[in-house]
Amino acid sequence: MTLSNVRDLYQQVILEHYKKPKHKGKTTPVHRYQKGHNPSCGDTIELTLRLNETGDTIEDVKFEGEGCAIAMASADLMADVLRGKQIDEALEMVQRFQSMMKGQAEFPKEQRKLNVMQGVAQFPVRIKCANLTWHTLKAALETASSASLEEFISNEKDD
Amino acid sequence: MTLTQEKTLAAQVRTDFPILQQQVNGKPLVYLDNAATSQKPLLVINTLKDYYEQYNSNVHRGVHTLSAKATDAYEAARDKIANFVKAASRQEIVYTRNASEAINLVAYSWGTSNLQKGDEIILSVMEHHSNLIPWQLLAQRTGALLKFVELTETEEFNLGQFQSMVSDRTKLVAVVHVSNTLGCINPIQEIIALAHQYGARVLVDACQSVPHMPINVQQMDCDWLVASGHKMCGPTGIGFLYGKLDLLRSMPPFLGGGEMIADVFLDHATYADLPHKFEAGTPAIAEAIALGAAVDYLTDIGMDKIYAYEAELTEYLFEQLQQIPEIRTYGPQPKVAGLGRAALAAFTASDVHPHDLSTILDQAGVAIRAGHHCTQPLHRYLVAQSTARASLSFYNTREEVDVFITALKEAIEFFGGIFG
Repeated sequence: MTLSNVRDLYQQVILEHYKKPKHKGKTTPVHRYQKGHNPSCGDTIELTLRLNETGDTIEDVKFEGEGCAIAMASADLMADVLRGKQIDEALEMVQRFQSMMKGQAEFPKEQRKLNVMQGVAQFPVRIKCANLTWHTLKAALETASSASLEEFISNEKDD
Repeated sequence: MTLTQEKTLAAQVRTDFPILQQQVNGKPLVYLDNAATSQKPLLVINTLKDYYEQYNSNVHRGVHTLSAKATDAYEAARDKIANFVKAASRQEIVYTRNASEAINLVAYSWGTSNLQKGDEIILSVMEHHSNLIPWQLLAQRTGALLKFVELTETEEFNLGQFQSMVSDRTKLVAVVHVSNTLGCINPIQEIIALAHQYGARVLVDACQSVPHMPINVQQMDCDWLVASGHKMCGPTGIGFLYGKLDLLRSMPPFLGGGEMIADVFLDHATYADLPHKFEAGTPAIAEAIALGAAVDYLTDIGMDKIYAYEAELTEYLFEQLQQIPEIRTYGPQPKVAGLGRAALAAFTASDVHPHDLSTILDQAGVAIRAGHHCTQPLHRYLVAQSTARASLSFYNTREEVDVFITALKEAIEFFGGIFG
């Protein structure tokens, strides 16, 4: 088997984030909480966010969940770059990430580590794996309070 | 059967399946997702083409030549299916869109008019969602209770537990014949006999058995049996319900419309005789005729021969899987000569997620399923978030199993490195 395509997808950085995630767990306190899933494959993610006093900047992001290497690495990478971001900035990043999965955008220098996910665009059936965490983030940010939503937000409704 | 003969069966039929003669991601396609849907032989594809090119017409309506020809072919296919599952009468075969629709038909028609609050429906934890949700809905409508048979230590149907669960309160037992995830062949004969002792009806989900082994509904003595056309070399959009004649007669219509009527007045109607009473509207004519062709094709090969050949593949597949320490398979191990379970293996590979496995195998041209296979409650029961599944058919070869195993080992190695 030629693994070259596979290596494009599963780059070393992705595998490292999968193997040793830095942002697993729950934030203290929890200002935003959202569960997301891909119903057709069973992958789930639980995001928690800590915001600053004025509630407009993300201070910390953590995740729990079960899923494939792409889904888990994407969540860990996302958590990495979100610290210190304003909520409207984060929402822009959601859009940019989703465009990148269509091969239509990439991230600027200071967020370039996210560009390692670009290879996923070549594997259309796996795009939803990478998008799950961002889709869940969007729902978390658009929910006004930490009203602990027991409902999952589905990443597959818009597909 | 010897190895030489085994090679002969796959080799004999291989060229009947044009789709298998292709490369995927630069590698010869190894299609091991047959439990999701089977591939279609030329005979079936040509039957669809011939129908649309030569005699496309509505059935049971016209007097003209094409309509008569379409009606004859549509009804002849019903005869073929009746013979295939050894039904006592052709009237016992009702065309449905798929197995799910067949189960819903029984749940609405029979279930709604026969079940009451406190009645019990026994299912198993290994049911496909299609043999679970219709009964959940029925239970919500009627107040009936659902009870679930669990698994034995070898991850098979727990007959002992079923024995203690079935009672005079049991009105229905709905159970899968061959599990699409565990691959176990359930003791259907015993289940049915026990249920009948208490006067309960039994519905058998035979989606994974009809394509792979001889089925005899009279010997089985099931009350209903459902199967899906597309899993047995037929087209999508067609399946069938078998039901005992008297039972089907006693059941009210499911869907109303054209085709299912005898006399229609503005305020009431009388209904057509079986099986048309349950076939409202213009049916999937081409698909039904092509399902008949699929049955011809399978009958021509012989279901005994298919079962024996697939058992040999099963034995080989499990021998190979057992040599990979990271692999955990689900369901029972095959018995001597690969018998006693279906030619499929749901498995996990230590820390490698099934989706990642599937992507890597796809790069080697190998198509497997990854996910919950429409058995979420079973996966929860097994404490497996998802599994990978390789499911074989009579057109698969040992060489294809080898390609799969090699790719699987490489995938494990690729990921193993990072966990090492």
